[in-house]
Amino acid sequence: MALSKDELKAAILEKAEKSPKAQLYIKDFYACDPETKPRDMKNVANDLVKEGKLMFWSSGSTTMYALKSRIKNEEGAEGI
Amino acid sequence: MAKHETPLLDQLESGPWPSFVTDLKRQAETKPECWDILGQLELSYKERITHWKHGGIVGVFGYGGGIVGRYSDLPKRFPGVEHFHTVRVAQPASKYYSSKNLRQLMDLWEKYGSGMTNFHGSTGDIILLGTRTENLEPFFWDLTHDMGQDLGGSGSNLRTPANCIGQSRCEWSCYDTEECCHSLTLKYQDEIHRPAFPYKFKFKFSGCPNDCVAAIARSDIAVIGTWRDEIRIDQAAVKEYIAGNYPSNGGAHSGRDWGKFSIEKEVVDLCPTQCMWMEGGELKIDNTECTRCMHCINVMPRALRPGVDTGASICVGAKAPILDGAQFATLIVPFMKMSADNEFEELVEFIEKVWDWWMEIGKNRERVGETMQRLGLPHFLKVMEIEPIPQHVKEPRSNPYVFWREEEVEGGFERNVEEFRARHAA
Ligand code: HEM
Ligand code: HEM
Ligand code: SF4
Ligand code: SF4
Repeated sequence: MALSKDELKAAILEKAEKSPKAQLYIKDFYACDPETKPRDMKNVANDLVKEGKLMFWSSGSTTMYALKSRIKNEEGAEGI
Repeated sequence: MAKHETPLLDQLESGPWPSFVTDLKRQAETKPECWDILGQLELSYKERITHWKHGGIVGVFGYGGGIVGRYSDLPKRFPGVEHFHTVRVAQPASKYYSSKNLRQLMDLWEKYGSGMTNFHGSTGDIILLGTRTENLEPFFWDLTHDMGQDLGGSGSNLRTPANCIGQSRCEWSCYDTEECCHSLTLKYQDEIHRPAFPYKFKFKFSGCPNDCVAAIARSDIAVIGTWRDEIRIDQAAVKEYIAGNYPSNGGAHSGRDWGKFSIEKEVVDLCPTQCMWMEGGELKIDNTECTRCMHCINVMPRALRPGVDTGASICVGAKAPILDGAQFATLIVPFMKMSADNEFEELVEFIEKVWDWWMEIGKNRERVGETMQRLGLPHFLKVMEIEPIPQHVKEPRSNPYVFWREEEVEGGFERNVEEFRARHAA
C-alpha cells in the first residue's frame, strides 16, 4: 500500500531534516515510498513548498528542495 | 563619467562591429549599476576568473523557476551587482510582439531592473539581466497583473516551449505549431513553473523540416512538421525556373550574380537521396526515397510544395554539450497526425510516457537524451511500446550479439532441469 498524502509529507519533511545534505533532489524523496509514482511525489513536494514548509533552491540549471531553516542565507550554497 | 578604468574592455570597442561595452556604457548613464558590471568584468579579464556566483534564489513565491539567482562575490567593491538576478519572461507564441507590449516590458524593466536585456535566450524566452531580490515580487506582480504575461521556465522544469511562425505566415507549415505550442504551454503550467524532473526539459515545434526553431538540436522532444504523401509539383512553374523567369530560393540569394539557374546543378544533383530526375522536360520525384529535407522546395517554392497528408515527426533527446557531448534528437515516431480537435492527444500521451520513464530512471542532472544513450535505443523503444522500424536505424550494427527476450523465444526460457540433468550430469 502506498503511503497517504499526509504520511508522504511527513516522510519528506523528515528526510529533508535528517539528510546530511541540506539540498535534496526530487529523486532523493522517491525512497520515502517506492510505491508512489515520481509525478505524484513531485506534486506532494511542491505542495510542501506552497505551504511554506520546504523551499526551492536552485543552482541555476538544477532545482532542489530544502528546509528553510537549513539554508543559512539566501545564496545558501553548501558547495553545490 | 566612468566609475572604473576598463582598458581591456575599451579595446573591444575598437572593432567595426557593435560592442556590448559601448551599449553598457550608454546604459550606465541612466543605470549606474552597469558601471559595476564593466568594473567586475574588467577585473575578471585581468584575473582570468569569474566573480559571479550562480544559484540560490529560484523565484517568486510558489514558483520554482523563472528567476536565476546571480550574485557578485565582490559586493563591497561592486555594490551595483551585489544582486544581479536573471529573469526569464515567456515570449509570445512565434515571438509576435506588439510595440505596446514591448514598451510595457521595457518600462517595467527600467523600473525594477538594470535595463539590460537579451532577446532571446537560446530556450526562446526573453532574458532580463540584473535585478535585486527585493524587486522580484513587485516585478512579478506588475508583469502578471498589468500585462497578463508570465515568467518562463528555468531549473529542473519544463522550459518555456517555443515554436516557429507556422501557419500564421508560412505556407510550408504542416501543422498548427502555434496552437500546439500554446495549448501544451497551458496544459503544462505546473511543469513550467515548478520543478518536476531530474533536469531541464524542452519542447520545440517547427512546422516543416526547415526547423526554424532548431528543435532537432535543442529540444528534448522535437515536433517537426512533415508529410507522408507526395511533394506537389507544378510542372509549368518548373519550366519558368529553368527559363530563369522565377528567381531561385524566392530571391534570397539575389545580392550577387550566381550565373544562370541550373536545375541539374542546384536541385537534382543536390537531392541527398538522389531521388529526383528530369524526364521529357518534366521534373520527377521518387517520393518513397525522399527524406523530406526541403532542399528542392526551398529552391523552387513556386513549383514545389509539401504534400497534403501532413503531420509531424517526433524526435527525442537533443542537448547542448554541457555534460557529455552535444547531440541531435533521435527520430522515434516518423509520422504522427497533429490535430487541435483532439487536443494533440497522441502527442500528449507520448510526452507523458517519456516523462514517467525518465522521472523514474533518469539520474540527477541527466537529460533524457543521455538516459536514452545510457540504456540504449532498443530499451527506450520498448518502454515507449514502439516497434523498431528501419527509420530507427542510424548505422550498421556495431554490436555482434543478438539478445532475445523470453516472449520472443518459442517455449520461453523455462525448462525442466531434472529432466535435463537425467541426460547431462552436473
Ligand atoms: C564564467 C562565468 C559563467 C559561466 C561558466 C556560465 C555558464 C553558463 C551555463 C553552463 C549556462 C547554461 C545553464 C543551463 O541552462 O543549464 C548558462 C546560462 C546562462 N547564463 Fe551563464 N555563465 C557564466 C556567467 C554568466 C553571467 C555573468 C551572466 C549574467 C550576468 C550569465 C547569464 C546566463 C543566462 C541568462 C543564461 C541562460 C541563457 C539561456 O537560457 O539562453 N552567465 N551560463
Ligand atoms: C551452450 C554451450 C556452450 C557455450 C555457451 C560455450 C561458450 C563458449 C565461449 C563463450 C567460448 C569463448 C569464445 C572465445 O572467447 O573465443 C567458448 C570457447 C570454446 N568452446 Fe564452448 N561453449 C559451449 C559449448 C561447448 C561444447 C559443447 C564444446 C565442445 C564439445 C565447446 C568447446 C569450446 C572450445 C574448444 C572453445 C575454444 C575455442 C577457441 O579458443 O578457438 N564449447 N565456448
Ligand atoms: S520551420 Fe518550416 S513551417 Fe516553420 S517557419 Fe520555418 S519554414 Fe515555415
Ligand atoms: S525534399 Fe529533399 S530528399 Fe526530397 S526530393 Fe526534395 S531534395 Fe530530394
